[in-house]
Amino acid sequence: MSLLIPFTRCLLTVTGRLVRRSAPGLPSLTPPAPSWVAAAGKKELPDLPVVPEEELEEQFVRGSGPGGQATNKTSNCVVLKHIPTGIVVKCHQTRSVDINRKRAREIMRERLDVAYKGELSEVMVKKKESELRKQEKRKRVNENLERKRLFKKTLAADTHIHNKPEDDAV
Amino acid sequence: MWWRRTLSRSCRWCLGCRHSGAKRIWSFHYRALRSAPAVPAGRITALQALDIWKRHFEEEGVTEAEQSSQYIIAHLLGAKTIESVERQRLTEFLSKEKMEEVWQLCSRRLSRMPVQYIIEEWDFRDLTLKMRPPVFIPRPETEELVELVLTDLKSRSADTETRQTCLEVGCGSGAISLSLLKSLPQLEAFALDRSQDAVDLSRENALRLGLQDRLRVYHMDVIKDAERILGLFSSVSALVSNPPYLFSEDMASLEPEIFRFEDHAALDGGENGLTVIRQILTLASDFLLNSGRVYLEVDPRHPPLIQRWVEENVEGLQYVETQNDISGRPRFCILQKAVT
Repeated sequence: MSLLIPFTRCLLTVTGRLVRRSAPGLPSLTPPAPSWVAAAGKKELPDLPVVPEEELEEQFVRGSGPGGQATNKTSNCVVLKHIPTGIVVKCHQTRSVDINRKRAREIMRERLDVAYKGELSEVMVKKKESELRKQEKRKRVNENLERKRLFKKTLAADTHIHNKPEDDAV
Repeated sequence: MWWRRTLSRSCRWCLGCRHSGAKRIWSFHYRALRSAPAVPAGRITALQALDIWKRHFEEEGVTEAEQSSQYIIAHLLGAKTIESVERQRLTEFLSKEKMEEVWQLCSRRLSRMPVQYIIEEWDFRDLTLKMRPPVFIPRPETEELVELVLTDLKSRSADTETRQTCLEVGCGSGAISLSLLKSLPQLEAFALDRSQDAVDLSRENALRLGLQDRLRVYHMDVIKDAERILGLFSSVSALVSNPPYLFSEDMASLEPEIFRFEDHAALDGGENGLTVIRQILTLASDFLLNSGRVYLEVDPRHPPLIQRWVEENVEGLQYVETQNDISGRPRFCILQKAVT
């Protein structure tokens, strides 16, 4: 299930350069990676692979015009593609492009984790744990119900001995 | 379909307002007003309402037909996005009142009023801000401007114990300053705008976010009130601005959402879009600490023009670099006060 991409690759730390697609004809200028990229990492799933920005291709459509003040659109869908694996994440969960970009990267890390580690990935492990907990709970609930049922039965049986037959109620 | 459309487009005399330069001219004129679909007689679900209005917007040539209906209806259901509304709420019948609200707000979109003005709010990074015409609506590119400034201010605060200050020129709804204040608890911000509406809205947003203690907003024009401003601000760590930067000649081709509803003074940067930018750069080194930086959002054509102009005309400033926005366009100019 896991792809043939070595672990070491995904453990590379962010090197600090964010590559963006330049508009045709313009020189390719590379702004530094946003500060939050280096700090990315959900607290609950700390072992997710760190994805270098060079491996990502980001797309946010603002139309063919100059953008900025000249455009007022509410669309803020961010499309993130991981070039080596071809995995694509789309995010428009919020009304802020900035937050959608951050979320897209978090989701990408989770997807890559699943892709690399399969059954052993953090997401899968958490899922299994959650399923197990649910199963345990169901088991306990059923056991309780069964116990109650038996108790009622014994109670009814006792009452039957002491009352007339027509007062029987189970 | 059991609901009926009105049979004819209604045309009415209406009092309208159009911009002529900086002045607004009120006059009666004949306008074909877009008509809304009739309010349904029976009950409908949110999903049905979404569909009705999406189709109507498409028929009337309203841009972003689907998103418009989604954002408006989600808002009326108490959510920010339609995706975050539970499936159950989308498929249950709307109350009569709710349906009328939907019709009222969606009808406004027919005049090409921006969604942000219709629902009177919008998000900027992790803030929700109140929106009100004609105050300029924050654009997504500007969220990146805030990231750039944050990175800079964070690296500086590591060195010094003293409180940092920043100055924003042309604050509009207060998005940039408030965003910086939210992320940097030690920051104090000064902001100015030539529009009283913008000053009021910035203050209102500061209050709503509990940041009013660290933001001071001034009703001032960076060109007309230059003398007063110079006396007020000094030793700021960062000067940030999303100044009007459109070229005057491009104003007429703006989409109706912008042209009809947003303050033209917040957009029109004069010939070559550089009028306000030049003024800010001229005054910058008087406001800034040594090595303090200026962060500007600009038109993609500006960076080389600004660099050349600064080298020739502004002794106290050095051009540091240009940054691209998320669409890959040159969008942000960073300059630094030369050490004196």
